[in-house]
Amino acid sequence: MITRRAAAQLFASTAAAAALGAGPAVAADTKIVVIGVDLPLTGADAQGATRILHGAQLAFDQANDANAVPGVKFKLDVFDNATATAGQYDPAQAATNARRMVADPRLVAAIGPQMSGDGKAQAPILSEGDLATITPASTNPDITNPKFAAEFMPAGKAIYFRTVTTDAYQGPEMTMFMAKKLGVKSVYILDDSGAYGVGLADAFEGQAKKIGMKVMGRDRLDPKNADYTTTLTKIKSLNPQARYYGGVDQAGVKLVKQSYQIIPKMIKGGGDGMVAPEILTAAGFPAAEGWYATIAAPHLVGDPKAQGVIRAYTAKFGIGPDDYALTAYDAGLIIIGAVKTLIAEKKPITKATMRDAIAASKTPTLQGMVSFDKYGDMTSHVVSVYQIREDKSKPLDDMIAQYHYLGPAPQV
Amino acid sequence: MSFSSLLLQQTINGLSLGAMYALLALGFTLIYGILELINFAHFNVFMMGSFLALWVLQGFGLTGQTVILTGLPLIGVLLAALLVTMLGTGVLGVAIERITLRPLRGITGPAAMITTIGVSYVLFNVILLLTSAQTLNFPNPLPQLQWQVHGATVTLPELLIWLVAPLLMAGLWAFVQKSRLGKAMRATAQDPEAARMMGVEVDKVIMTAFFLGSALAGAGGMIFGLYYNFTSFLIGFTAGLRAFTAAVLGGIGNVPGAMVGGFAIGLIEAYSGQFIATEWSDVVIFSILVVVLVFRPAGLFGRLTPSKS
Repeated sequence: MITRRAAAQLFASTAAAAALGAGPAVAADTKIVVIGVDLPLTGADAQGATRILHGAQLAFDQANDANAVPGVKFKLDVFDNATATAGQYDPAQAATNARRMVADPRLVAAIGPQMSGDGKAQAPILSEGDLATITPASTNPDITNPKFAAEFMPAGKAIYFRTVTTDAYQGPEMTMFMAKKLGVKSVYILDDSGAYGVGLADAFEGQAKKIGMKVMGRDRLDPKNADYTTTLTKIKSLNPQARYYGGVDQAGVKLVKQSYQIIPKMIKGGGDGMVAPEILTAAGFPAAEGWYATIAAPHLVGDPKAQGVIRAYTAKFGIGPDDYALTAYDAGLIIIGAVKTLIAEKKPITKATMRDAIAASKTPTLQGMVSFDKYGDMTSHVVSVYQIREDKSKPLDDMIAQYHYLGPAPQV
Repeated sequence: MSFSSLLLQQTINGLSLGAMYALLALGFTLIYGILELINFAHFNVFMMGSFLALWVLQGFGLTGQTVILTGLPLIGVLLAALLVTMLGTGVLGVAIERITLRPLRGITGPAAMITTIGVSYVLFNVILLLTSAQTLNFPNPLPQLQWQVHGATVTLPELLIWLVAPLLMAGLWAFVQKSRLGKAMRATAQDPEAARMMGVEVDKVIMTAFFLGSALAGAGGMIFGLYYNFTSFLIGFTAGLRAFTAAVLGGIGNVPGAMVGGFAIGLIEAYSGQFIATEWSDVVIFSILVVVLVFRPAGLFGRLTPSKS
């Protein structure tokens, strides 16, 4: 159901995005720089995607208000990549949006996508169009892996930049957290047969084998199936200390529920796919209590240095940001910085010059100094660990209240 | 967990799944038996059933996982929800038949079957849009009771499934065998032309079949919600396909065959998940189906009849 709050949020964000362009009288010599934003803004992913959109929007609004780049006004062009047939993000729509962004000569850089499936669909198109995008949330390592450059970087240059790290770290660093902080010596691994879930579970499994954690089995769940009791009964009979799940909430909700019935005491963990409001609302408590989950970025929401931005965000949008909203803010800062550099160097602002400027950038952001390796990945790779613990004083779907930050995972 | 208790636990899991598949399979079989039509709308009538039950329970103030009712009031609310759900999906089934299928009656070829696929997608998309594609929590009003049997665990929802599903199936069986309308249904299934000439109101018989099949699917949908504590627009497809397979395995058109087929598929799913791998369950289920059909083309309990058309 489209709740009134969600509708109001969507309306507010659209209106604000429109206002960005139409803002106060623009001087004749002011250059308008158009930035694309591509996110699944409707359907199942809408809540997180809207938070990300707001994070990016805040960065550009603040730059416009403070006249951070003299002579330049930023305008966002927002694309929704969710479709009604998919009910959620739709890679085919993401590809269509990428073509539209590449075709627009005024659009010089982009923020997004949220989902790795969309990223895989967009990367080749963006590469051919020489359009740089900065993703604040998608973590599948293949897109920036030189091994798959022919597929995702056909034109040769990095165009898929990230302000989060990849699952090549998110999985293994969770392995280390389980081994070192929770004392886990044996684990059973599940995935949800999606690109993200399989990749994350593979990365976790690889690290587990490397450090001698006993992998007691690996199974693949069909997210459309309702019943995982068979698999969970099998896990119960093997009795590992922990169970790791690579995947998103579609299978996750059912897994949380049925795990509570069959293996209530086992240590249960997942990746950022398990950081989703439906885990709290559809699976609910007590089933979700105690689950561990990770975010492929530093915990910015709790960082004292980010509080000013968080206050501005909350004041503007009426609801607080999550970590990926703040990594989206960081992505905005990097793009603003790149434009500033080009103007200082008296270069034209085009897709190609922006790509080069972003690739070479070293920008102070909320998560510290961000720079990229030659494939577009961040040179730092912090993974934050959370545990779901019910806070009855806060609403059930208040993710920031119900996911408790435990600390950064040990790095590998 | 010893091997025997593990086997027992998987049997319990499989029987619970199987009871749900059997309830759904009956709908396929009833309609096929009379119209020789595979009704794909049935998948999502089942899904609608779980949403109807959800809304009724919410109407009684039951949300979330807290037990707020016990004893007789709880039984009353559950029975009321079951009745409303079965009536609602039954009427939905009749409406589907009356509005979309009756105009196509007598037209040979796949037109009617394709229509049912279309109706199925309409229902699917209506719920998708109503829920914004979210998975919803289904209230769990039952007390958290469970029993240990030889190292395996049996929960209250499982016991209820085993009680309610066979009761409904037995009721259907008795209706088809004993009642006047049931006799008319069997007569229509054997030879619709002859039945019409003997004074059987074929339209009424067909409507009854749609009502009963859809009502059972609705009951299945509510049981699904109570058992898994969630529902979403997606639940019809996997369950529907398995149930359809069960109907074919048992011999489509044959009521006891659909029940046996449902339990067989549930058990196969549980055992193959345990002893092979979860991702191979579908391969195992459909391989067994193919093998059975090669050796018994009419299914386990079906009889090959000359084509009616």
